[in-house]
Amino acid sequence: MNKKRISLLVSMILVMAFTVVGCSGGSETPPEGETPGTEEPGEEPGEEPGETAKDTLIVGMGADAKSLDPHATNDQPSSRVSKQIYETLINQNEKMELEPGLAESWDQVDELTFEFKIKQGVKFHNGEELTADDVKFTLLRALESTHIGHIVGAIDGEKIEVVDPYTIRISTKEPFAPLLAHLAHTATGILNEKAVTEAGEDYGQKPVGTGPFKFANWVTGDKIELDRNDEYHGEKAKVAHVVFRNIADNTTRTIELESGGVDIAYDVQPTDVTRVEENGDLTLLRDMNLSTTYIGFNTNKAPFDNVKVRQAINYALDMKTIVDVVYAGVGAPSKGPLGPNVWASNQELDEYGFDIEKAKSLMAEAGYADGFKTTIWTNDNQQRMDIAEIVQNQLKEIGIEAEVKVIEWGAYLDGTANGEHDMFILGWVTVTGDPDYGLYALFHSSQHGAAGNRTFYSNARVDELLDTARGTADPAAREAAYKEAQEIIRDEAPWIFTWTGEDLTGTRSNVKGFTQHPAGHHKLAGVYFE
Amino acid sequence: MYKYILRRLVMLIPVMIGVSFIVFTMMYFTPGDPARIMLGESAPEVEVQRLRDELGLNDNFFVQYGRYVKNAVVHQDLGRSYITNRPVFDEIAARFPNTLKLAALGVLVAVLIGVPVGIISATRQYSLFDNASMVFALVGVSMPNFWQGLLLILLFSIQWALLPSSGFDTWKHMILPAVTLGTSSAAIITRMTRSSMLEVIRQDYIRTARAKGQKESVVINRHALKNALIPVITVIGLQFGYLLGGAVLTESIFGITGVGRLMVDAIKSRDMLLVQGGVLFIAVVFSIVNLGVDILYAYLDPRIKSQYK
Amino acid sequence: MAENTVVKKKKKSGPWREVWRRLNQNKAAMLGLLVMVILILAAIFADYVAPYGYDDQDLMRRFQTPNSQHWFGTDNFGRDIFSRIVYGAQVSLKVGLIAVGIAMFIGGALGAVAGFYGGKIDNFIMRFIDVLLAIPSILLAISIVAALGPELRNVMIAVGIGSIPSYGRIVRASVLSLRDQEFIEAARAVGADDTRLILKHIIPNSMAPLIVQATIGVANAILSAAGLGFIGLGIQPPLAEWGAMLNSGRQYIRDYPHLTAFPGLAIMITIFALNLLGDGLRDALDPRLKN
Repeated sequence: MNKKRISLLVSMILVMAFTVVGCSGGSETPPEGETPGTEEPGEEPGEEPGETAKDTLIVGMGADAKSLDPHATNDQPSSRVSKQIYETLINQNEKMELEPGLAESWDQVDELTFEFKIKQGVKFHNGEELTADDVKFTLLRALESTHIGHIVGAIDGEKIEVVDPYTIRISTKEPFAPLLAHLAHTATGILNEKAVTEAGEDYGQKPVGTGPFKFANWVTGDKIELDRNDEYHGEKAKVAHVVFRNIADNTTRTIELESGGVDIAYDVQPTDVTRVEENGDLTLLRDMNLSTTYIGFNTNKAPFDNVKVRQAINYALDMKTIVDVVYAGVGAPSKGPLGPNVWASNQELDEYGFDIEKAKSLMAEAGYADGFKTTIWTNDNQQRMDIAEIVQNQLKEIGIEAEVKVIEWGAYLDGTANGEHDMFILGWVTVTGDPDYGLYALFHSSQHGAAGNRTFYSNARVDELLDTARGTADPAAREAAYKEAQEIIRDEAPWIFTWTGEDLTGTRSNVKGFTQHPAGHHKLAGVYFE
Repeated sequence: MYKYILRRLVMLIPVMIGVSFIVFTMMYFTPGDPARIMLGESAPEVEVQRLRDELGLNDNFFVQYGRYVKNAVVHQDLGRSYITNRPVFDEIAARFPNTLKLAALGVLVAVLIGVPVGIISATRQYSLFDNASMVFALVGVSMPNFWQGLLLILLFSIQWALLPSSGFDTWKHMILPAVTLGTSSAAIITRMTRSSMLEVIRQDYIRTARAKGQKESVVINRHALKNALIPVITVIGLQFGYLLGGAVLTESIFGITGVGRLMVDAIKSRDMLLVQGGVLFIAVVFSIVNLGVDILYAYLDPRIKSQYK
Repeated sequence: MAENTVVKKKKKSGPWREVWRRLNQNKAAMLGLLVMVILILAAIFADYVAPYGYDDQDLMRRFQTPNSQHWFGTDNFGRDIFSRIVYGAQVSLKVGLIAVGIAMFIGGALGAVAGFYGGKIDNFIMRFIDVLLAIPSILLAISIVAALGPELRNVMIAVGIGSIPSYGRIVRASVLSLRDQEFIEAARAVGADDTRLILKHIIPNSMAPLIVQATIGVANAILSAAGLGFIGLGIQPPLAEWGAMLNSGRQYIRDYPHLTAFPGLAIMITIFALNLLGDGLRDALDPRLKN
């Protein structure tokens, strides 16, 4: 009798297990007949059962989106998905040039105001027509957003004027030259008032836009599915479906690309570059992007308040080797605070180069011939930790004993905002391609701490230049100001210019029409299978 | 019997309160501002403060904790995740099935390997099989499961391209994670089964059965097994509970969207409400599983059962 | 260190020598002991055993496979892996011992108090232990390290706190079984106060299960610390810790698997040896359980 009970238990366990396995085979299979990941790795791509597979583009990303409400978040994965669903008033093409988006044309009415003419007959995914009211609603809501408010912050919310259903006037509080570039930022995608109000708190999971793809399904943490918008006002998307798969591990993402589990893999890591390039079934796209990585000094703390020390350290580091080792040939050593993709970036700044003797003599001049002890802060990003380790090693040559402190992202942001650090490694993305975005928050004395200027750098002339360049619409004047500001920054060395990033995307060779956008939010509407 | 169950359930409540209090305290004193993390390094401080106000982060410790408990108990509202703004409960519920499946499969692997091997080892004590299986059991316990996972991926996904290395959709996806997770449990169950069997075999009533002339297989199957397996079953239950919470590393390696990974990410993002809800959830499930195991044990072991008759 | 305690601790030579003799007969346990002694010696004398420093980068000689100059090859910074494994032993053993020390001290104290005084105090302490047990130990450790900061010291604390329950229960069980025995009553009659009773009589009598648990506990602590290192919450670079080495070597696993192979093996061998030793100690300390 007891034996029966035991066999009962065992069979219960077995039944439970088989149900579990059986259920999963059924319920997890996505619709449309294609099942990403069920192919045997090693099978040739394109051999999937049914031709529906070629209609679906599968993209592997390193993280799941956080929200598809562009006002609720500013992270890369979310923006990459949102880019397909929403559209902005103005578009920025891959060369960062401005083109009409939902706004057909625009005029500068006075030094504070622009008037935009909105394209007619554009339908949202829920059938509603796009009008200027939606634009006003979107901008007012954006201004309220704690996440992206600063991107539209220059706009004066009281003065957004709906002239007629297809005309809107937007004014800024002060003259703001980069306004148009900011209106091309993915975060300013136009929302439908009705859809947002109806969905309430859950809007982030029920996005409605005007873009070439509309939202279909989101399996939390796993994948997001989009369908082609057949009512799109422009050229329709070439593939019928897009699936964004969350594959956090870099090695795994590349394996999935090799096995055909994904058609496109974002952010291929440097160690896989050769592997992808040499694989006949795969194509690797490499384009410089708008990100920069830098090593900063806390100029409020000795000895880093002494410019000679900062320069000495610049001379003491073999930056070329560091970038080579850490990034394995991906990206390039930075020549200044702005990358080559950003307008008005000064690529002719004098490089410090690798000169130990010069470093030592500067240290002596500053009174630190015997070196000193300090810390290098970094978060738990692998490349940054690697940089820190090598820098620590190299600084020994000039007598600097640096302790590497790996701090978790949250505490890291806090600590650097409060000025607790000495040297630190951080990055920045100049999303708008405009030098104001890439310099103001980082070097203006009004932006100390959490706002972005974590070196606590202050220079009256730089402040003046940045303010002027921001307020004038004259491109030549702006360019001159920015070039000069970058020279001063180079000389004063609050940063050690480290690395300018490169976007690496791997695709299967039968994927065509894919191009990378420097801001990292690549458009997929033009992608098709051969 | 029912009074016992009821009492145990009631005792869960102070434990749960204790868990939520400890977790809340830890998260509260952890450096790192969730608002700042959400908004990123480039957001203006003014916005960060505004978000802090919205989330009620500027209130003192007791106000925040009180608010949390009130919401949880009175409104059954565990709050929303700071990062995704999705209800905490939804976030957990979306991922729990995966963790459950993984743990169940892990236990299945462990049992399928552990019990038979343990039994055979006991009946053939000191034989080659016994020694070999004990060595394997020790290896299973000693190998860190994150390394084992990497090795399995290296072999089966990269080298031989037989099994996928991430995701959890089809049965093929489940093999490697289940094996990784189940191995150390298998080792424990093997050892437990073996020692339990050995102890039972030495009992007088077994000797009596043998003396009576019963066939060895009958002796084992009818008399020894049922009693030997009782403690094993409790170990199985405990392992299941343990795997539910402890699958964090396996989930990370194989990219499985489970509760463990959710918790690690939430802790790193200071997503306080999600961490609290998640740990509380796991703690409740774990405690219930433990309770179930205890009840099962009492039910199965006639010695204990008789106490309640 | 377990085996030293066995030999040195008590003046009464009889019972402990018996234990040592039994342990000696167990070949497997002696193997475990040998491995541990080698590891401990290597850790103590790391500066002499390791041919290179743990931080000697040589960016021109990265990713070398094992050769005569670098027995285990070099890593992504050109550092000698063998040396890093040796220094890693230092880290792991330190973490193991201190974490177990913390857990034994706090857990033992709690267990002793709970068992001895019983009643409400017992209840309260046991509920507290239940709370600790209900939270999965990995998550508890991650939360603590996140709260205190990713440093070796905090890893020890985090892992230690998670292990408190087992020691608490062992000591409490011991206390409960001993509390009403005659020699305690006798001691009380002579006028010994509670603390003295606990320290001089009760704890020494629970030594046996404590020692076994401690040996296994060190193994678990090392595993937990490696797990934390693997997630990236362990230690500050460039310190060599086996779990962290696994983590940083992971991205190169397709091209240079030796970066992860050696730390993985190191962890496994250490845990294996500790388990052998622990099993042997259990058998030696209580021969009834052996057969």
